[in-house]
Amino acid sequence: MKSVVSEDASTPLSTTASSNSRLRRKRKNGVAGYAFVSGYFILLILFGVVPAIYAITLAFSGTGGHFAGLTNFIKTGEDFRFLPAFENIGKYLLIWLGSLLVIVLGLALMLHSIARKVSAAFRFIFYLPGALAGAASVLVWLFMLDPTVSPWRLFLSIFDFKNLGQTILPSHLPLIFAIIAFWAGAGGWIVVTYGALNNIPNELIEAAQLDGAGAIQTAVRIKLPLIKKWITFMLILAFAAGTQLFVEPQLVGEASLGLISPTWSPNELAYYFAFQDNNFNYAAAISVDLLVIGLMCAAVLVFRTKLFEVE
Amino acid sequence: MSSPISSKGGRRRLRLGARTSVVAILASTLAVATFGFSSAATAAAAKKPTISIWVDSTRVPQVKAYEKSHPGVKIDMVTYNGNANGSGVLQSKIALDNRVGNGWPDIVFSEENNDAASLASPQFNYPAVLNNGTVSKTVLGGYAKGTLAGCTVNGKVYCLRNDLAMNVLFYNSALMTQFGYSVPTTWQGWQTLGEQVATQHPGYIVGSVGDNWDDDIYLWPSECHVDDVIKADTIDINGADPNCTRATQLIDPLIKDGAVTTDSVFSSTFGTTYNNKILMMVGPAWYGQYLFPGIVTKGDLAVANPLSWGSGAAVTGEVGGGLWFMSSHVSGATKTLAASILTWLSTNYGSQGISPGYPAYVADESKWVAGQQASGLYSNQIAPVFAQAATEVWSGWSPVPWSTDSVFGSTVVTGLNSGQTMTSQLASFASQLADYAQSDGYTVVTNP
Repeated sequence: MKSVVSEDASTPLSTTASSNSRLRRKRKNGVAGYAFVSGYFILLILFGVVPAIYAITLAFSGTGGHFAGLTNFIKTGEDFRFLPAFENIGKYLLIWLGSLLVIVLGLALMLHSIARKVSAAFRFIFYLPGALAGAASVLVWLFMLDPTVSPWRLFLSIFDFKNLGQTILPSHLPLIFAIIAFWAGAGGWIVVTYGALNNIPNELIEAAQLDGAGAIQTAVRIKLPLIKKWITFMLILAFAAGTQLFVEPQLVGEASLGLISPTWSPNELAYYFAFQDNNFNYAAAISVDLLVIGLMCAAVLVFRTKLFEVE
Repeated sequence: MSSPISSKGGRRRLRLGARTSVVAILASTLAVATFGFSSAATAAAAKKPTISIWVDSTRVPQVKAYEKSHPGVKIDMVTYNGNANGSGVLQSKIALDNRVGNGWPDIVFSEENNDAASLASPQFNYPAVLNNGTVSKTVLGGYAKGTLAGCTVNGKVYCLRNDLAMNVLFYNSALMTQFGYSVPTTWQGWQTLGEQVATQHPGYIVGSVGDNWDDDIYLWPSECHVDDVIKADTIDINGADPNCTRATQLIDPLIKDGAVTTDSVFSSTFGTTYNNKILMMVGPAWYGQYLFPGIVTKGDLAVANPLSWGSGAAVTGEVGGGLWFMSSHVSGATKTLAASILTWLSTNYGSQGISPGYPAYVADESKWVAGQQASGLYSNQIAPVFAQAATEVWSGWSPVPWSTDSVFGSTVVTGLNSGQTMTSQLASFASQLADYAQSDGYTVVTNP
């Protein structure tokens, strides 16, 4: 992902000799690339692919290990906590992805059009909240949301929130979790999108400007279509991460001494099945549900935006 | 992008890379094996078993007291959240330990009174049976009557109670005198006084409904049938039970008037907001030592018998109380040692004397009460009140594998926070409980 942020666009070489040497260099780079990727690849196999296969196996077996067909999927689908959990996560995703798309792109485009020195400072500021890892950022937010200790109590009092319980009512949670996710995650995406914008050749933008395109027209007609793939990439990852929401509802539930259902999100429901009911098969079925939903959305986005096509 | 995997050199290098990684993996495996071996060897040389004990932070001093009085015994103490508020952390750890076949704590403390039912179920199969000679009959017989009921499943005792957490009526005796009120003996009297306080002394409170265990404080003593296992696998859950609504209908107007707060008693500002402003509060015995110091001036706190409903004998509920479990996965010398530690922690005054709760073990009670009385917190004698209340816990609120409190929190308390009344939330409370019961294989009946 680092390469995206690089600001130098490589210039194409035209002679055969240089193209040969480029091939050699590429080959060399390729091997080095594999060496670098191998660490990730091994970990991916060990902690990504193997557990996924294990989960799929579990999802289709009964507690005794026999083949159970779709029983686990049907039973979990019929469970009274299943629909509310997916409803919650659906609302959360709508807010989180919507705001991610509009605000991240807006800010990145803004950054790209202002002077480089200022933009570096802004990039740093945007990225800063992302430096706080998941659980820590939720803890920060717990203080922000508790009207009795929050530095923003004046703002919270506008909504007549007098205690933490009133701030974290079930109907507020999708918005609250989206704000937390945005606060912690959007900065990173702004920097990435900004990097992608830097890969647009200057000539293109200048040509557009010569043709009379204003800042907004350049942004909408030139810049956005050119970084379409990055936007898709961001959406796929944000969607996958969003459907797996766990830490936020779990921690807020603990901090409020249990005022939030322990099965608020599908991932929490899976956790509940696995560890409260000791039914790993049901838990696996829900994680496979999430995997399928994630893959389906990714597939739609990949095919619609031709993400993997190389010009 | 060109694919370097197609070049021969690339393949060779890849193979080399693969070989290198195999060597690296082997090396690390060897390293792990060696370390594993060396630690096993050390353990074998030491010979003395190490007993692992998991407790919540409140119970840490009790374990430390054991370590101090038994310097020869090796204890590996782990602090966790005590499985409080339906968090289910203990179940999740035990499920994982069951899966890998080791790692169980030898002794564990839980704040969740439903845990004997849950952990002893075939799904977890964790605790050791104690009434088969593991713990002596004298010790088991030394518990107050009925206090091991929550630990008993099908005649087998799976845990020892740490303390009794029956509810009593706490009140501020100085404020009572100052305002010229007398202490109520019935819930109706409590409500009338609450209304009086709301008009005559706004800002003062007679109770709180802001925590997920408040069903134990208001619905349990009202004999509300939402958690009554009437026979194996059949449970009575009826949110429309008049016994439930009589309690909520008393409380709703008081919440509206501000005489009952919806703030959590453990919220960060509860102590400052209600400093010497709690006129009365029904709560578990441990509130005395755990909640009120610092909120009520020393010497002003008093206790009264649980409130009755006018006719019939007074009954009460309980909040937590704490259970000590021993693992069924220990044997031999470890088992004997673990059983003796378990017994010491739950019955010895060295441990119970520093516990904030009223001991369940009769021999410790009078000494504990004397200690509490000497602390100067109370203005009246707590012994007769606690002793009587301990025998009045209503038995129609059963230990079940799900957390009733957690459901109460996510339905009734959140409902109150969004401006609903307690009475209006009873239906959703009961229907969610019924959902949990059914998914755990219970048959749900209303008014059998």
